[in-house]
Amino acid sequence: MKIPFFPPDLFEDDRQVLLDVVREVALDPEQRFILGRRTGHFETVIRDAVGAADAVACSSGTSALTLVLRAMGVGPGDEVVVPAYGCAPLAAAPALLGATPVFADVDPATMVVDPVEVEKAVTGRTKVVMPAHVFSVMADMPTLRVIADGAGARLLEDSAVAQGGVLGGRAAGTWGDAGVYSFVQVKTFGMPGEGGMVVTGDPELGRVVRMLRNHGQDGRTRFLHHRIGVNSRFDEIMAAFQLRRLPGLPARLERRARIGEYYTERFTGLPGVVPPPPGRDGRCFYVYSLLAEHRDALHDHLAARGIGSHVYYRSPLPRQAAFRTTGRDWPAAERACSRQLAIPIHPHLTDAQVEHIADEVCRFARS
Amino acid sequence: MTVPLFTQSASFSELWPTTNRHIIDVLDRGKYSHGHKVVELEAALAAYTGAKHVVGVNSGTDALVLLLRACGLRPGDEVVVPAFSFIASASAVVLAGGRPVFADIEPDGYGLSPASLAAVATERTRFAMPVHLFCQPADMTGVGDAARRLGLTVVEDSAEAIGMRYGGTHAGLLGAGGVLSFFPTKTLGALGDAGAVLTDDPVVAETVAALRHHGRFGPTAGHFPAINTTTGTVGVNSKMDDLQAAVLLAKLGRLEADIERRAALARRYTELLTDAPGVRKLPSVLPRRADVRGVFYVYAVEVERRDELAAHLAARGVGTETYYPIPLHLQPCFADLGHRPGDFPHAEAACRHALALPLYPDLREDDVARVCDEIRDFFRSAEAA
Repeated sequence: MKIPFFPPDLFEDDRQVLLDVVREVALDPEQRFILGRRTGHFETVIRDAVGAADAVACSSGTSALTLVLRAMGVGPGDEVVVPAYGCAPLAAAPALLGATPVFADVDPATMVVDPVEVEKAVTGRTKVVMPAHVFSVMADMPTLRVIADGAGARLLEDSAVAQGGVLGGRAAGTWGDAGVYSFVQVKTFGMPGEGGMVVTGDPELGRVVRMLRNHGQDGRTRFLHHRIGVNSRFDEIMAAFQLRRLPGLPARLERRARIGEYYTERFTGLPGVVPPPPGRDGRCFYVYSLLAEHRDALHDHLAARGIGSHVYYRSPLPRQAAFRTTGRDWPAAERACSRQLAIPIHPHLTDAQVEHIADEVCRFARS
Repeated sequence: MTVPLFTQSASFSELWPTTNRHIIDVLDRGKYSHGHKVVELEAALAAYTGAKHVVGVNSGTDALVLLLRACGLRPGDEVVVPAFSFIASASAVVLAGGRPVFADIEPDGYGLSPASLAAVATERTRFAMPVHLFCQPADMTGVGDAARRLGLTVVEDSAEAIGMRYGGTHAGLLGAGGVLSFFPTKTLGALGDAGAVLTDDPVVAETVAALRHHGRFGPTAGHFPAINTTTGTVGVNSKMDDLQAAVLLAKLGRLEADIERRAALARRYTELLTDAPGVRKLPSVLPRRADVRGVFYVYAVEVERRDELAAHLAARGVGTETYYPIPLHLQPCFADLGHRPGDFPHAEAACRHALALPLYPDLREDDVARVCDEIRDFFRSAEAA
């Protein structure tokens, strides 16, 4: 039984849907392929589903982060507090705008940013606090909100991995002044192309992001450019595809959650392996990551049995060439880098496959 | 009978068997951006243009930004940009960390004026960015000579210029590098946003390839996982969708035929509009100091009472586009540069008079006749009144 980490058949059931929407958009008398009525509809549906004031589709989750930082006026001399452990855009987005990413260490067990570390990283120059949800755990948003407010900073929630997650009754993405979603294929609401979205409770922020994503135009007068904007738009084909796939999303999320719950139940108390915390509040089952004392040996054990697993980040962001920061350590981030291993959780897995994966993790831990 | 500004439905239907096959291939391979179809398209475009390197990205705008960064633009460096172009020619400079310095265009042909380039360059200027607008390349001999004298690197905004050649060299390959836009209405148009960088310089190509994918060096296109663990430089996500690459590969097979078709339609427009009242200027490919191959991406006429004519045509079901109503130096986003009307008279005149008529392979000869009749009708009734 071969179980790849990245599912090879993500859109197996929707091949015809993709071919159909390509034809539908290509032959539509409107001949509008970017930011048309389908994108507008998609934005409205997501906006209403999470209870945001605005939802703005754009070219990627990374771009969504940069658009929000730009709309928040981040530039040279500003600081943005970001996690020391995570994906490059966390640090690259502020750096691209000439601002300084200030790294905060993470919680050693959950790998999300530690609010105590965030508070220590805040200075008079902090313009934005940018926590990220990581793997299957949402950051401690209520505490981070208090810290951001106390610092007079804005709160940008990197919820790129967390669409579908809920914390204290609030959808991931709606805790910050703005949040983002990514629709790249492997995400919980992935699609066969690049795309992202900004969600915000602040209509003015939404208005500015809308302007910035399409060359600083206001959506009414073409070729009148109020601000320096970018090209970060959304394709109609992808909007049509996402609208068709949306009804199946709750079932796919539920399947992921059940697999995650099953894993955690099996792994709790295992020697040398720490699963993510149990429960559903503040959880998003995008990636299921373990912390393993003998991570590389566990990876090899699983690989020898045909089970794909994946190490996400091998060094903390401030240890990478582009974001090199010296003068301190990030022990929890370092520890996560040496112990984190993700095992398959995609909704196409059969119960037998899930049990097999769990059995092998348990067998390794007990041996 | 309406004549839309743009449609590609008939072409799409003709090409569907090929497009369909490419999309099935994308589905079978299971990687939907930065995947094998993008790599295949890059190779096909390299063969078509003669570029040593083609790097697929998310849009023509992104291509310009990443190209400028890869060519070594430093914060505060000045880039000379013509005042008559799409906003991206200038906003890309700002997004890359530089400062645009505007220059006027030539009285004919809408290209960057070499004389104006020389006049506006300062000691902080490091790049010249000619734009190949509408139907022909800029005067690359004149621009190249001026740039050499001033010690500037030439980076081409060749977003509209697929198929255009200057002295036998494809547009975008006359300086450090160029770009292509695959915006759907382009001569080679996708069904969404996509773009590419063209260059003969392996270092520029490698840098753009890293910048488009979060600053990760090494082979990433076509590879799982596309996750960054070693960020070498501050990059972005500007990956091309394989679905768009599939559409473009299918269309690339008939690009030359499409270019011929566009040329034939342009000739028909010119026949029917020559000496028409109210028409100040018809487009033509200008002779240069080297052989030029123009491509009619846009058929832009200059007319009296341009906005009234556009409204008249719209009321009769004929779509047009005003490329471009406001010169770049007078856009609100560049207000801080302190330009005034009159600074670049040729660019400003083009903005007052230029109007793009429908031009695309799906367009029929009788559509062209219909558009021209409506234009003559507008100015005739104006004379009578």
